[in-house]
Amino acid sequence: MARCRGGDDSSDGRPRRLLIQLIRWLGQQHAQLRRRQGWNYGPLSSAAKKDVDVSLKTSTYSNENQFQAFVKQSLRTPKAPDIFTWHTGAQLEQLVSQGLVADTSSVWKEAVANKWVSPSIEKMFTIKGKQYCVPLEVDYWGMYYNKAIFQKYNLTPPTTWSEMLSDAATLKSHGVVPFYSQDGNPWAFVYYMLIMAGTDLNEYNAINDGKASYTDPQVKSVMDTWLSMLQKGYFSDPGSTTPSQTVFKDGDVAMQPFGTWYPGTLAKVGMKPGSDWGIFPIPAIKAQDGKTPVAVETAPVCVTAKGANKAAALKYSKWLMSPAAQSTWSKAQGILPYNPKAKAANSTLQGFGQQVTDASKYTTYLRYYEAAPAPVLTAALNNFTGFMTSPGDPTKYLQGIQSASSQYWASNK
Amino acid sequence: MGPGVVLVLLAMYIPVVYTMYLSLTDSNGLDTPRFVGFQNYVTMFSDPSFLVSLMNTAIWVVGTLIIPVGVGLLVAYLSFGLKWAGIFRIPFLIPYALSGVAIGVVFNFILQNGGALSQALAFLHLPGAHTHWLEVAPLNTIVMILASSWQGIGVNALLFIVGLQSIPKEPLEAARIDGANGWRLFTSMIWPLLRPSTTIVVGLSIVNSLKTFDIVETMTQGGPNRVSETLGVTMYTDTFQSSQYGLGAAVAIFLTIVTVAASVLYLRRQLAIGDSSGSGKVTEA
Repeated sequence: MARCRGGDDSSDGRPRRLLIQLIRWLGQQHAQLRRRQGWNYGPLSSAAKKDVDVSLKTSTYSNENQFQAFVKQSLRTPKAPDIFTWHTGAQLEQLVSQGLVADTSSVWKEAVANKWVSPSIEKMFTIKGKQYCVPLEVDYWGMYYNKAIFQKYNLTPPTTWSEMLSDAATLKSHGVVPFYSQDGNPWAFVYYMLIMAGTDLNEYNAINDGKASYTDPQVKSVMDTWLSMLQKGYFSDPGSTTPSQTVFKDGDVAMQPFGTWYPGTLAKVGMKPGSDWGIFPIPAIKAQDGKTPVAVETAPVCVTAKGANKAAALKYSKWLMSPAAQSTWSKAQGILPYNPKAKAANSTLQGFGQQVTDASKYTTYLRYYEAAPAPVLTAALNNFTGFMTSPGDPTKYLQGIQSASSQYWASNK
Repeated sequence: MGPGVVLVLLAMYIPVVYTMYLSLTDSNGLDTPRFVGFQNYVTMFSDPSFLVSLMNTAIWVVGTLIIPVGVGLLVAYLSFGLKWAGIFRIPFLIPYALSGVAIGVVFNFILQNGGALSQALAFLHLPGAHTHWLEVAPLNTIVMILASSWQGIGVNALLFIVGLQSIPKEPLEAARIDGANGWRLFTSMIWPLLRPSTTIVVGLSIVNSLKTFDIVETMTQGGPNRVSETLGVTMYTDTFQSSQYGLGAAVAIFLTIVTVAASVLYLRRQLAIGDSSGSGKVTEA
């Protein structure tokens, strides 16, 4: 996922969306899961073999575009993988509408009954009343902050948007860049998403469903908020390809918004939770029914509808949601497990996880990268990049995205 | 039909025909394609990004004719006949062994914001240290052409050297006896006699620049906001990133037509000149 300019070069974070695992079943006698950068399936594979006597052979694609083309082309053929990683949102709906993904409703029913997963996550996997795929992980977005910098300038994690901007002003006055930012694919969407959902979550969702327009005044106002932050110099150079974890460790940037998968990346540069970094929920500009919106993303693992080893694939899917699997995955990746009965890799993350899953104070929404249909996402990433590199009147950029959105929704209602 | 014919049909004709078919549909790579006539072509030509891409491709064609071809000729001519010419030429030839992707990665490192070039300029207190080389159009296209030229000069020089070596010595000596030297000798004798090499170098340069993809994809991915896209990148982005396979196929067909037309027009014209035995008279093919 954390892939940026320069094609496949991982510039920050671990690869995820653009370095996707294609998982292919070879029956139960095989155990050929390869270790690769970013996602370490080794421990998960060993645990699956031990717990449910199912093993995998993985095939890796280093490029998201190639991976997607392969999956789309192969799903109707005997070469189809038994299971594969994918996206939720519009991209999953597309596969489901063609009957290419197996129904996992029974797996979900049991998982929800066991309290392995919250119903809000189930919603993201539900299409027309049925569930498809299971989450390998569920990640909530928060703001990571460099503790040493915050301590140096006597700052505390903000609880409101204005406090956060006040912290940013203090940091800026001391020559520290407050927020990490990067243009291009995939990260150009981040501040649009955070400010839009944090201002008007209904509008954010309506736009993603094709029921509202990027040229609405609310969106223009959101972009103006972003523009004012850009003009104040609150963001790092969006064109820089220095990895985010490096600028964070070096103290060049104080805050970075990312999902709960990010600690694994920070660990690679020797940053420890609690002492080197902390995380706080990104405050809302305007609370949604009294709740703070939190972006959530998932890494779904889907079972091919007509796969040769469908039964084994479904068995594995069920196991994947179990406390044992989620504890193993959390330990291997240093991430937050979505199963509350699983053991989290670190207490900082566990505390954050408990905080944002409190449904009385927080409400989740699907991350923009998954929520926007592919052609709209492409146009948005391009236009947001244009806006970030030449900050100014956002109107023409919003019109550019809306043009792609109108075209998409005209033929996909 | 022999196996060769079958192979050509399978590998060459069927993909072209299939791409033509796709360009007339709304294929997204997954759902059953619906026939939409020439809608993709209408969409393509009404998309401002496509027009920018078309302009950038034209800049690439002109740029790669001026720099790699021009400098290649200069290197070949200046080094021709020199005692240590081989050693002089080697540095120009080595980059040709690299792939376009490798060149893109290296130059991305040099030209990115705060990259090696910016650091060097800042260290030397020279202007341009804060220039965003890869973010401002058409500067980004120009620096990518320069990066590409770094690779292309050597092979062009090599082809020109072969051409220079094949020029018979007698007419050149006769020209020298008649008093032709330097620029005059080059323009009146060497340049016309080099025509076979020039035809090949320019022809290859036009085709290669029309299908520019790898270096742009690795350095800017056509961005920011599609301002540095070439037709090759537009085709890829529309197809695989936006999942608009029909639109991508339309761009592919357009690119093919332009490339074939440019090649045929250029080569026919050059061959026609060649047929007139260096008389300098241009005859229309």
